[in-house]
Amino acid sequence: MGLSSVTTGSDATKFCIFDLRRGQHEGEELDKILFFYPADLPFSTQLSVIGLSEGLITFTRIFSPEAACEVIEAEGHSHVFYEAEPDVWMVMIVEKSKESEAIWRIDALRRVLKEVHSLFMMFHGSIRALLDKEPSGGLVRSHLYTFIMDYLSDFLVGKKLQLPNFRDSLKERGTVQMLTIGREAAIEVQEDTINLFTYAVLRFSPRALSSGLSSWSYLRKGNVSSHAATGSVSANSGAVLDQFYRSSGGDPSYHIARPLQQDKWTKGKDGFLVSDIWKAEAGSSAATTPTIWLQKTEEKVFLCTFQHRNLTLILLFPVISLLNEEQGISLVKQQVLENASLKIVKVEEKLSKGWGGENAYHVSGCRYLLVDGDRNVSRASPPTKVTTLTKESLVALNKLREEVDLEKSRAKSDSPDSDKDMEICIRAKNNAWVIARFTRGKELYMVLEKANETLLYASDTVENFSNRYCNGLFSLD
Amino acid sequence: MFPKASSSQSTTGFSGSDALSHVYIRYPPLRCDIPGARGLFYDDGNKLLFSPTSDQIISWKTSPFSPLVIPTSDSVCEGPVLSIRYSIDAKVLAIQRSNHEIQFWNRETGNTFSQKCKSDSESILGFFWTDCPTCDIVFVKTSGLDLFSLDSELKSLHLVETKRFNVSWYVYTHESRLVLLASGMQCKSFTGYQLSSAGIIRLPRFEMAMAKSEANSKPVLAAEDVHVVTVYGRIYCLQVDKVAMLLNSYRFYRDAVVQQGSLPIFSSKIAVSVVDNVLLVHQVDAKVVILYDIFSDSRAPISAPLPLLLRGFPRSITASSQSSSRNAEDSEAKDLSDTEAIIYGDGWTFLVPDLICDAANGLLWKIHLDLEAISASSSEVPSVLEFLQRRKLEAHKAKQLCLAISRTLILERRPVSMFARAIDILVTSYSYSIKTGSYLKGMKAEKSLPSGVPQVNSPSTIADDSASRVDAYGKSVKHESVSGVHNDSMNKSPTFSGSDSEDNVTIEPLKTSSGDLHSLGGNVESKILMGAEVPSDGVQSGLQSQLLGLGNNLLNSNVTNHQEPQVTSAAVSPDEMYSFVISPVEEEMSGDTSYMVSIIIEFLRSVNSEKIKVHPNLYVLTIQLLARNERYAELGLFVINKILEPSKEVALQLLESGRQNIQTRKLGLDMLRQLSLHHDYVVLLVQDGYYLEALRYARKNKVNSVRPSLFLEAAYASNDPQHVAAVLRFFSDFIPGFKSTSDHNSYCRILAEMNSSITA
Repeated sequence: MGLSSVTTGSDATKFCIFDLRRGQHEGEELDKILFFYPADLPFSTQLSVIGLSEGLITFTRIFSPEAACEVIEAEGHSHVFYEAEPDVWMVMIVEKSKESEAIWRIDALRRVLKEVHSLFMMFHGSIRALLDKEPSGGLVRSHLYTFIMDYLSDFLVGKKLQLPNFRDSLKERGTVQMLTIGREAAIEVQEDTINLFTYAVLRFSPRALSSGLSSWSYLRKGNVSSHAATGSVSANSGAVLDQFYRSSGGDPSYHIARPLQQDKWTKGKDGFLVSDIWKAEAGSSAATTPTIWLQKTEEKVFLCTFQHRNLTLILLFPVISLLNEEQGISLVKQQVLENASLKIVKVEEKLSKGWGGENAYHVSGCRYLLVDGDRNVSRASPPTKVTTLTKESLVALNKLREEVDLEKSRAKSDSPDSDKDMEICIRAKNNAWVIARFTRGKELYMVLEKANETLLYASDTVENFSNRYCNGLFSLD
Repeated sequence: MFPKASSSQSTTGFSGSDALSHVYIRYPPLRCDIPGARGLFYDDGNKLLFSPTSDQIISWKTSPFSPLVIPTSDSVCEGPVLSIRYSIDAKVLAIQRSNHEIQFWNRETGNTFSQKCKSDSESILGFFWTDCPTCDIVFVKTSGLDLFSLDSELKSLHLVETKRFNVSWYVYTHESRLVLLASGMQCKSFTGYQLSSAGIIRLPRFEMAMAKSEANSKPVLAAEDVHVVTVYGRIYCLQVDKVAMLLNSYRFYRDAVVQQGSLPIFSSKIAVSVVDNVLLVHQVDAKVVILYDIFSDSRAPISAPLPLLLRGFPRSITASSQSSSRNAEDSEAKDLSDTEAIIYGDGWTFLVPDLICDAANGLLWKIHLDLEAISASSSEVPSVLEFLQRRKLEAHKAKQLCLAISRTLILERRPVSMFARAIDILVTSYSYSIKTGSYLKGMKAEKSLPSGVPQVNSPSTIADDSASRVDAYGKSVKHESVSGVHNDSMNKSPTFSGSDSEDNVTIEPLKTSSGDLHSLGGNVESKILMGAEVPSDGVQSGLQSQLLGLGNNLLNSNVTNHQEPQVTSAAVSPDEMYSFVISPVEEEMSGDTSYMVSIIIEFLRSVNSEKIKVHPNLYVLTIQLLARNERYAELGLFVINKILEPSKEVALQLLESGRQNIQTRKLGLDMLRQLSLHHDYVVLLVQDGYYLEALRYARKNKVNSVRPSLFLEAAYASNDPQHVAAVLRFFSDFIPGFKSTSDHNSYCRILAEMNSSITA
């Protein structure tokens, strides 16, 4: 269902996952293919794409055994490589075309690969683990296929995949929108979430809280109203969950849970989101509560999601803390409703009141993106404002970001512990200023159109922005 | 906290072996049995207890209460005594000699004069002195009130005003400045006046409720069934309805008297005391006391009825094995005979607010609350805290109890919501005390005084009267005192002499919303605003100077007075909360940092809602707790959302905790910069290897306090001659005289070596 629509061969984008440890003997080549998009391409074509990629990897490993090739720019295509797990490679091939908006930023594409993999890990565990479980590869292929196709459906525009291109250069995948809230509201939020955990977890196991699990559920307010039910777990908040490193939790069964299916989540009467996605997976034991694996703390946790208007609350609690799953979870839910629901309503009101709307973070005169890489949060000019920029400016910014990405990865390999400070100001052909600034893990990108022509003006603008919105972070004179 | 002599509790005490009580009197009492005494009289205006003899008036100061107080005496003419009162300035002594005559005595000159009723048809029921601006003394007569002023030479009275009614009997207390005049067949119609320094207020006439036992019976209300009490600066009247077995309460407002509901009673004889604004209803027949805190609308008693105990009585030391010297002490200490030691004995008269006069035995007891026992008897932590926060008499102890309760809450890992409610109470109370200034006043008092030392427990100086003497005079004393003291029991006085607002009572305008009743202290405040304060200080100082003038040793009473710390408010500041609750408890809770963090967050929420600042140490502790559990993501959010308010201490702790987590360290650095702590920021930048950024920052913000060698060392450590050269050049250009320093020379040499090694 829904999958076939994506598999039309007319798409110029190809996406494959293969395992270098498999199919190394003649006649067994097909074994190495774990996933291929479009799936209806003939195997010979698939194998030639993978063979080329494999060749490039093998070749570049001669020079750089630790990190083989990241990207190959051919005349008509870009090949983006990502080694998701040792010897498990993900490759994305996109067509280059000046006319059809096909201007890419490699790092943005690679982030898509990273994201799909980390999400997969969270729900199904590592690819290698699935391969080990069933060496024939049928299990992992069926999991990957359904999961990635569900994931890619978010990028579908009509029948075409619309991957992030230069128009998205004032966006940062994998980050959550910065939420500025007053101290009072912040205390309330903290208090509430901690309360939830105190109530929920103390009830079951006092050890749970001290075990190092980050015991705050992430509160986020955003524009997910249209997908309210799905937003919490699907692509929109993938970034949220991205903060938890995950691995396996799946059940060895060909009944594959499809957590990314948007229409499978509904809001229950009690405000908790329910889904029958996991029912299939667990079979007769009828476990309806999703479980995910937090790799950092190596804990399998239940995922409980509560929604009240714009507020989504994610509760994670260790599976081991519950003796009786069904009873335990309903007890947690009951505790939340009894003890916290009033406060949740209060917090939601407070946040909603404090929410200035879509354009709250608009700064007139400039279009910007502010990224805090340390905590995976970002803030940007509202999308409607970004669309007012000319294509030329956006392309120039895209190019600048490519340069910066390169510089960043170079700096990282030179000295992984220290962050470089960096400042680039470019005057584009259309006389727009395109600016990038770096200070210890924080990044600022800015486009100034119809601006004064002096460099001083551009740098003053950044300075003012920095003083006003970033506590002077970028104001290193 | 008190030296509760365990002996007195463990052995056959007055109430048997069961020593549980919330209210107690403490041995030794004030002894006031003088040979030849003709009864005991109480002057609540000056808080003096009188015992007239044939030619003298002996007086004991009862506030501050001390069993060791030395009595003073005035010589007067012989004659019958119905009532005695000093004038407010203590210069004139007034003695009611009969139903028609009151005699006045100028204590300085010895002059006397008398004031008599004009007609035989009226008789004087009693009198009281007043600080009302228009008159000095009020006679209550069967025909109404006569208001007199004293002439400047203190030689005669001038009638200022007469108010005519029929009066059956009256009730007056100096602390309320309120006189209630009973009239009618059943004596249940009342007219009231408040005569205070703010003037005279007439209350509307009102009737008290009386249930009928039969259709035609008409019970008559007696004076002893009506009690005027003052709690939280409000004036109430409590009326015993013996038929309904109810204690009806009425509250007085400026323009109305409003019935406030009834309390059940379990004894036909009821006495009422007020200790530290807690209402004590003595069920005399049942020999128990019930406590009410009528601050809020709740009419529920604070705790179950329990007996009143005598504490500190060294009864058990009579064991034969005791040394002879101890026995000698005992015989003195054991001077309380069995008849004297009877709780709720027949001779007891309750002097409002908190004294008990045992007229038969010539003893005066002061009633104390056992805050520890009261707080231990309830598991409802929030209400206990509220109760304790309202205590002023033993504010220090109440405060310590509050701190202990808070500690226990955490140590027992009670639900966070419970702690939240508790902390809200403490913080609200503190916030209120800051606004009214009572907290700061308390702090001052506490500082200037030594920590809580219990009362001196030695026998009183006049305790050498043998018990047999009491027997000899007992009967007559008792007989006389029944009438005398009884009359005076209407004249109640405050014991707490501090200039506390509670002393200053007035009648407020009626507030229509009953919500006012439990708005914290709101009434007290409004009362003060009305300016109807009573200059009780004046009374006190006047009396003191007079006592000094008589050459009496006041030192004794002063010492005992000052031995209890005079904290006037039990309010707990956030800093104290940190120092005495969170910090000490944290060490014991080290295994459960998550719970501690929740507790701290609750605390911050509560404090923030009252806009009170907390000490950065609390934030520092929070950071330590979070970092200990590696909850850096939360820590980051706490800092970014300014839940942990920026300060240098916080920044330094972030840097310290950030040794294991670079993001946390960055937050510390950012905070230093945002706080404009330029020097520290630059030093740390250099430490982290960002010496070029540090130089730029130092130049921009004119930081000259960092040694150039620090930068040069950092640049040298990077092994980049260009950077060393740049740093050298920077200092040569911007620091005058740098070129002549040893740093310059040595680094020039080092730079040269670096360059040569590269080219080589």
